[in-house]
Amino acid sequence: MAALLDVKGVSLSFGGLKAVADFSLSLAEGSLTGLIGPNGAGKTTLFNLLTGVYQPDVGEILLGGQRLNGKRPYQIAAAGAARTFQNIRLFGDLTVLDNVRVACHLRATRGMWAAVLRTAGYRNEEAAIALRAMRLLELFGLAAAAGKQAKSLPYGQQRRLEIARALATEPRLLLLDEPAAGMNPQEKGKLRELIARVRDEFKVTILLIEHDMSLVMQVCERIAVVDHGVKIAEGTPGEIQKDAKVIAAYLGTAESGAAAE
Amino acid sequence: MSSFLQFLLKGIAVGSLYALLALGYTMVYGILQFINFAHSDVFMLGAFFSWRLSVLFKINEPSPVAATGVLLGAMALCSLTGFLLERFAYRPLRRAPRLNVLITAIGVSLFIENAGQLVFGKNVVQFPPLLAEHTFEVGGVRVRSVEVIAVVTAFALMVGLHTLVYRTRMGKAMRAVSIDHNIAGLMGIPVDRIISLTFVIGSALAAAAGLLVGITYGQIKQPADSSWVLYGLKAFVAAVIGGIGNVPGAMLGGLLLGLSEQFVAGYLPSELRDAIAFLLLIIILLVRPNGLLGRRVVEKV
Repeated sequence: MAALLDVKGVSLSFGGLKAVADFSLSLAEGSLTGLIGPNGAGKTTLFNLLTGVYQPDVGEILLGGQRLNGKRPYQIAAAGAARTFQNIRLFGDLTVLDNVRVACHLRATRGMWAAVLRTAGYRNEEAAIALRAMRLLELFGLAAAAGKQAKSLPYGQQRRLEIARALATEPRLLLLDEPAAGMNPQEKGKLRELIARVRDEFKVTILLIEHDMSLVMQVCERIAVVDHGVKIAEGTPGEIQKDAKVIAAYLGTAESGAAAE
Repeated sequence: MSSFLQFLLKGIAVGSLYALLALGYTMVYGILQFINFAHSDVFMLGAFFSWRLSVLFKINEPSPVAATGVLLGAMALCSLTGFLLERFAYRPLRRAPRLNVLITAIGVSLFIENAGQLVFGKNVVQFPPLLAEHTFEVGGVRVRSVEVIAVVTAFALMVGLHTLVYRTRMGKAMRAVSIDHNIAGLMGIPVDRIISLTFVIGSALAAAAGLLVGITYGQIKQPADSSWVLYGLKAFVAAVIGGIGNVPGAMLGGLLLGLSEQFVAGYLPSELRDAIAFLLLIIILLVRPNGLLGRRVVEKV
């Protein structure tokens, strides 16, 4: 299968700190890959690089063969990458439905004048978008909350709404940043099912940052491990669990004596 | 009683102009969290563009069609000004500290005022009679037709803006950008384009206010006259009273300020007018620090 995402030798420094160093990663179309590593290893920085929040100092990022370097975040969204956030960042003052609808508009074709004049085409498109947004909310069990302000939702629902909003941009690549953070074991179980379902129903390629090892090991087909901005291992969950470098990164080594953060 | 109605009417007339202008301040603040000090200058340009367009097209007779044409022309020119302002003065500073942007705005304001003097001269300009002047007596209240038209125009524009912000997808995108730029970008909203649009719309409304001031008073003062800045300042006060960043709040604040001014000038010594206007601001901010319709801002940690 062809690679959907190709990260080639990407580096990024903040002043003297090398946040990401010569990082390469290739994701097959439709795959579900975990990205793990100790805190501060550079995982979220990688997501920021992939979505145009940061630009790499060197290296190249290709999504479906299209170069993402130098593109603005909204252009990258248009190219097919969407994400969620470690600390939930919804449009809190908008309704649940509007959070999803705003993201749907990326794929809308009618322009400003059509909207001002409320042409038939615009109205039809808006109706179709509202329908699509509601379907997404139903899939995520949020339909009943459609009219509520996003910030009034309970935590677990906010996390799900973030995923729904990301899917509304019709991405080919979905980046999930610690979706299970703060969830109880029961919610995590549901999330695991949801992630698998999203991948199958939406035919998206998923890259998942997660600290919950059992979740990562169960749901991901491949795992990449980052430490200090460097990819130290990549392989199947079984391989990763046995990898000496990974164990050292998490637990510290006898030589350095450094404990994992 | 009739004087009460008279003040009420006049208050609505002045207040709707403040409201039009306040919308520009509040929209830009909502989206960029900065006060566009050059907004009152765009308003001034709106009046002068209207005058020049009237002269250019030799409009000497009152005509609703010509007046509408001049209004649209001035709105287009001010929109362009607002667009250029944002593109070349503010956008390069998008990631700079807010104080830098504020100082730039003051600089831009001075630049426009002086350039305006250079282009439009330093004298009071007689505004062409774009609309026929009639005065009615209704229940002992003197009503000027131009004031009625000004109020109707202002309200029509405000209804249009409200529809745009709350009923269209651009409005939704604008609100999303005002909540969180970064996330809006990542969700596929072209943030820079939305910010441009905000300036364009705010400037168009300021242009309308400029034309309406010209029509109502029959003359306009020179570009660097302090009355322009005072007008802008009051509109800004109106925006704060209503809750800065809040579109209906700006309309409400504008009307409140206009009404309070007229009632003060009517019943109390008129020298107190501006003092009372600002006193009102202080009292409202003491009671409701975020304005009448503003929401409590929770500091992000």
